[in-house]
Amino acid sequence: MGEFVVLATDACLFALLGVGLVYWAIARRHEHLRAPWREVWARPAAAGAAVVLAAFVAIALADSLHFEARGEEEGDLVSLLDLALAPLREHTETSYSAPFATQAYARETRRTAEGQVRREYPRLAYGGAHLAEPAQRATDLARRASAGVMLGLAIFALPLLVAAGRERRRHGGLAAALLAIARGRTRGPWRSVLGVTAVLALLVGLSAAIAPYYHVLGTDKVGTDVLYQALKSVRTGILIGSLTTLLSLPFALALGVAAGYFRGPVDDAVQYLYTTLSSIPGVLLIAAAALLLDVHMSRHAEAFDSLAARADLRLLALCGILGLTSWTSLCRLLRAEALKLREIEYVAAAQALGARAPAIIRRHLLPNVMHIVMITTVLDFSSLVLAEAALTYIDIGVDPSMESWGNMINAARLELAREPAVWWSLVAALGFMFTLVLAANLFADAVRDAFDPRLRRLGVDAAGLAESPVR
Amino acid sequence: MSAYLLRRLLYALPILLGVNVITFVLFFVVNTPDDMARMQLGDRHLTQEAIDKWKAARGYDRPLFWNGAADGVAQATDTLFVTSTLRLFTFDFGISDGGRDIGSDLRQRMGPSLAIAVPVLLLQLVLALVWALLVAWLRGSRLDVASALICVAMMSISGLFYIIGGQYLVAKLWRLVPISGYDYGLASFKFLLLPVLIGMLIALGPNVRWYRTIFLEEMGREYVRMARAKGLSDARVLFAHVLRNALIPILTGVVVLLPSLFLGALITEAFFAIPGLGSYTIDALQAQDFAIVRTMVFLGSLLYILGLLLTDLSYVVADPRVRLE
Amino acid sequence: MNAPAVPLLEIEGLRVEFGAPEAPLVAVDDLHLRIERGETLVLVGESGSGKSLTALAVTRLLPAAARIGGGRVRLDGEDLFALPAAAMTAVRGRRIGFVFQEPQVALNPVMRIGDQIGEVMQRHLDLRGAALRARVVEALRAVGIPEPERRAREYPHQYSGGMKQRAMIAIALAGEPDLLIADEPTTALDVTLQAQILELLQAEQRRRGMGMLFITHDFGVAWQVADRVAVLKAGRLVESAPREVFYRAPRHAYSKALFAALPRLERRARPAVSAASPLLEVRDLSVEFPIRKGVFRRIVDRVRAVDGVSLSIAEGETLAVVGESGSGKTTMGRGILRLLPLAGGSVRFRGEDLARLSESALRRRRRHLQIVFQDSYAAMNPRMLVGDIVAEGMVAQGIGGSRAGRAARVAELLAQVGLAPEHAARYPHEFSGGQRQRICIARALAVDPKLIVCDEPTSALDVSVQAQILDLLRYLQQRLGLSFLFITHNLGVVAELAHRVAVMHRGRIVEQGPVDEVLFAPAHEYTRQLLAAVPKIP
Repeated sequence: MGEFVVLATDACLFALLGVGLVYWAIARRHEHLRAPWREVWARPAAAGAAVVLAAFVAIALADSLHFEARGEEEGDLVSLLDLALAPLREHTETSYSAPFATQAYARETRRTAEGQVRREYPRLAYGGAHLAEPAQRATDLARRASAGVMLGLAIFALPLLVAAGRERRRHGGLAAALLAIARGRTRGPWRSVLGVTAVLALLVGLSAAIAPYYHVLGTDKVGTDVLYQALKSVRTGILIGSLTTLLSLPFALALGVAAGYFRGPVDDAVQYLYTTLSSIPGVLLIAAAALLLDVHMSRHAEAFDSLAARADLRLLALCGILGLTSWTSLCRLLRAEALKLREIEYVAAAQALGARAPAIIRRHLLPNVMHIVMITTVLDFSSLVLAEAALTYIDIGVDPSMESWGNMINAARLELAREPAVWWSLVAALGFMFTLVLAANLFADAVRDAFDPRLRRLGVDAAGLAESPVR
Repeated sequence: MSAYLLRRLLYALPILLGVNVITFVLFFVVNTPDDMARMQLGDRHLTQEAIDKWKAARGYDRPLFWNGAADGVAQATDTLFVTSTLRLFTFDFGISDGGRDIGSDLRQRMGPSLAIAVPVLLLQLVLALVWALLVAWLRGSRLDVASALICVAMMSISGLFYIIGGQYLVAKLWRLVPISGYDYGLASFKFLLLPVLIGMLIALGPNVRWYRTIFLEEMGREYVRMARAKGLSDARVLFAHVLRNALIPILTGVVVLLPSLFLGALITEAFFAIPGLGSYTIDALQAQDFAIVRTMVFLGSLLYILGLLLTDLSYVVADPRVRLE
Repeated sequence: MNAPAVPLLEIEGLRVEFGAPEAPLVAVDDLHLRIERGETLVLVGESGSGKSLTALAVTRLLPAAARIGGGRVRLDGEDLFALPAAAMTAVRGRRIGFVFQEPQVALNPVMRIGDQIGEVMQRHLDLRGAALRARVVEALRAVGIPEPERRAREYPHQYSGGMKQRAMIAIALAGEPDLLIADEPTTALDVTLQAQILELLQAEQRRRGMGMLFITHDFGVAWQVADRVAVLKAGRLVESAPREVFYRAPRHAYSKALFAALPRLERRARPAVSAASPLLEVRDLSVEFPIRKGVFRRIVDRVRAVDGVSLSIAEGETLAVVGESGSGKTTMGRGILRLLPLAGGSVRFRGEDLARLSESALRRRRRHLQIVFQDSYAAMNPRMLVGDIVAEGMVAQGIGGSRAGRAARVAELLAQVGLAPEHAARYPHEFSGGQRQRICIARALAVDPKLIVCDEPTSALDVSVQAQILDLLRYLQQRLGLSFLFITHNLGVVAELAHRVAVMHRGRIVEQGPVDEVLFAPAHEYTRQLLAAVPKIP
């Protein structure tokens, strides 16, 4: 392994992780912050989604520790994830191959030893290369799959035992605890957490057992393993979803709260700024900025150390531009909330006590708008992940050299027209994206329900249209 | 009220000016007209004369902000910024970097964009309203739970999936409609069917959830309890009271979108090769045609401001409590 | 032997529950009540006693979280709980009319008043067209709405508060019900309006021979309308008796305690206050709100919410300011503290004019003048601990020494207002209304003020809690020599607490003087009206 290299987005991602940890440390000590999170955790769907999100974040973090490669790839950057996925990364075929294939997708002309010209499907360099005959594939796959299942179960045993151990005292004995978990009768949402963990563990086990010998999700046009690509794209998705909001948050918070609290000319200026910015169609603003960035980067190509660094900066810039278009709605919400809060009597009480404006903003306004920030952050995450794919399609997304689901879809969508269709890249990218976004949406729903005081009341006060039940 | 409208219209001017400054800085300062000419003409061995000719044809040969060569007021007015801004404000969009008349392109391409956007908006509005009202009424039932799951799943699917999947399944495998293309008049129906359907699907998930929340919020209000205390039927309470009140935020939320419908749906139009303003914009982006992009930005913000104004007006119509002062 | 007549309404063993069926929270438990035709039963109780839930349970309109846990409700002998949902809609509006507490939210904001009345008649009386319109106008006229033809076409926001409540009564009566349920129908209204609405309800009840279930927390109101009184405490019936019997000699200890806690509008001995030099002297104070119009939102006019008010408060004195809602009393209180910009006048505190001080100079003087609000929920940041809330003033003023010193002072202050030191580590929402108001008082005391503006501090509280808070204020005044500017609409509280009183009406003080003079020999016509409207208890 070579020297550590910290790309700009790596630094941002770890800074974000740091912010999250600091928040966690603060939230632990404050009941009003802990209570809504407990509520989130109590929802089985949200707890299961959290496990999925954690897995994705772990992949993204592993993919954000970069080193300079040694050996034949001298000068390239590799990440911890690349090292873990070395077989996938190195097993490059010449072109398309279907999932679990042993032979290429397209026929090639080959001259046999007898000098005849034949059109045949050539064997792959790696996929099933260890088989003497392609016909042995089924038995080989079955053998490896069962080994993978065993591995998956072994991986799963650890969290299962931890959970059962924690529940042992309440249910009297390990067996009773396991039974309670299976029936969903535990205090924590162990059943959904462990259920999701089991699926993940099985997938990891199966991949570990099979992926070094077959291309589980096939290969793309230049023969790269699709599973590897999809996994590498996780980091891009997570970065765009989280960094965008993080970059725009300070502006939205400062301007929105200041406008609402001070009103007058400050308010006029902030309102003018966000009305102007939000009146520009978002896609066009992003497109214009991306175009300019392109021109700028191609004119100053010498300023970047490597292609990776350049693609990385472009990603960062994309997050910034996306943030520029998304901060306005948050700012508007925060301003409205600050306007409401400044009229509340505890602010008047603080003024009567002689507190200064910065102290009032810090003690009374900021803590009471944080739920809006939290809700917006998690709600925006999924739409940003989806936006990446759409933007990449119109060439204003991430750098074409960077692994991303958008790039995968973009490259693969025309191949559906081939006979037989090349569907695996597309399905892999959409499937990964769907999993991440669904988990994020389920999680965001729980966060919104737990943090939004208005929604918490919804349905509790209302008689609705139901007749009062008589017992 | 007229004073209010006049004030809103006056307020639109500084915003449009601000938008114009931003786009001008983006398009002319960061990237000089020389750069643009080089990019458009594309020849590595380009002569300066060719560049100058290209610039002169578009009026890009003036200085950006300050014309030292001119006299008097013209020092400030005979500049690229002022002339190009004035031209935009008089809806004179000039010719594109590729050499086409933008104004006539816009007029021609508006129709197909509206032919998709309007049916999508109306159909999904009606469908989402009915769906949301049903699940709000049956709150907590299995149908409600299932609908919540379906909505969240629909929201989690990339719009690209609907488009690609729809084209593959409906157009390629089942051969029910053409994969892409467009025709004018009644013949457009078979081309519009799939994109409209897909546009609807994309919008449905989030809207059903949003409307359901609004309905539930209204159903929790005291006047609903009052309406029930009157002995009214569920249907009467739902339609005469809940729906009537809930429609205020919902319809005003739709009105703000109305003007932007002209701009078309970017990706849908591009995928289905609909010759609307959405695909026009995408083509311009891919061809790096700044004149078109700049025009679309200007139009977009103009229509957005118009949407805000219409929203205010629609409040007056929908809500008797609102008077514009 | 005659069979006993069937009562109009009979509640037998009613039980209302919340929460999980295995471990329910019982809000109303084993309640028995009956109402005859033409009779008014007043259900009295403090907040959380379950009186509103009882009314809602009768019509099966409980909030979604609640359910009927048992019992029977019979209307004319018919068991309402056994009726299918469709049959129940024929009972509501037709046989039982319902008047809710807040007309502001109970009327549909986007439906014309006439239509809101008309839909009841259409549903239950099968009226259509011209006949329907005529009946609607008649119904509005009957509840005293002037120009009913025009008013029927108006929307709720075009009605004043009192008119909205009249419209709601018209809706409740539109189906010609046998039973009228009125859930605190006058609580949201000023006393003069309250008197009118009570009169209207009684007149209609007598005219139609309806039974009435009237819910209130106010013994004065109860006396005025009741034939019988039933007292509810924590979901259980404490006692039920005919009005005269109950008011002459309440039997139950709880009823007696409630009576004892009632602030009474009577003369009493008040310790004299040395009127040497006033602590606070307000001269010609005005607060204005601009009205903007036109294209450029120029200020075309101003509303004078407070219009040339003068008053003075001596050290250790309580000056009460009474007035109805909208009279400008709260605005005046905030104006004196300069929490609002002043349009004119002076506020001299120990001779120094606060109105002319710069913002930073004022900041240091703020510790002398504090404020306690009506809504103790809104008055405390829900995300701060009680200890931090109480210490906020010390931090802002830079007093109280170190963190430990401040913590010690917070403990002392909490003890002074009757709370425990360990309450400092809790959040405001964990406390009851009365306790929260105590915390707010402790917060004000933390900076050693000379004067506290109390803005309706007990209006949101039950009478028993109100009595405790008033006791606390009196105690603090004696101990610390505090002055109070006590803003209230409750004349009983004035008589209980104040030395002097000022009566406010439309932004002006119409009369001021010692309590015994103003309340028992009023000079101004408005004061007389106000006093006449207060429901009296024998």
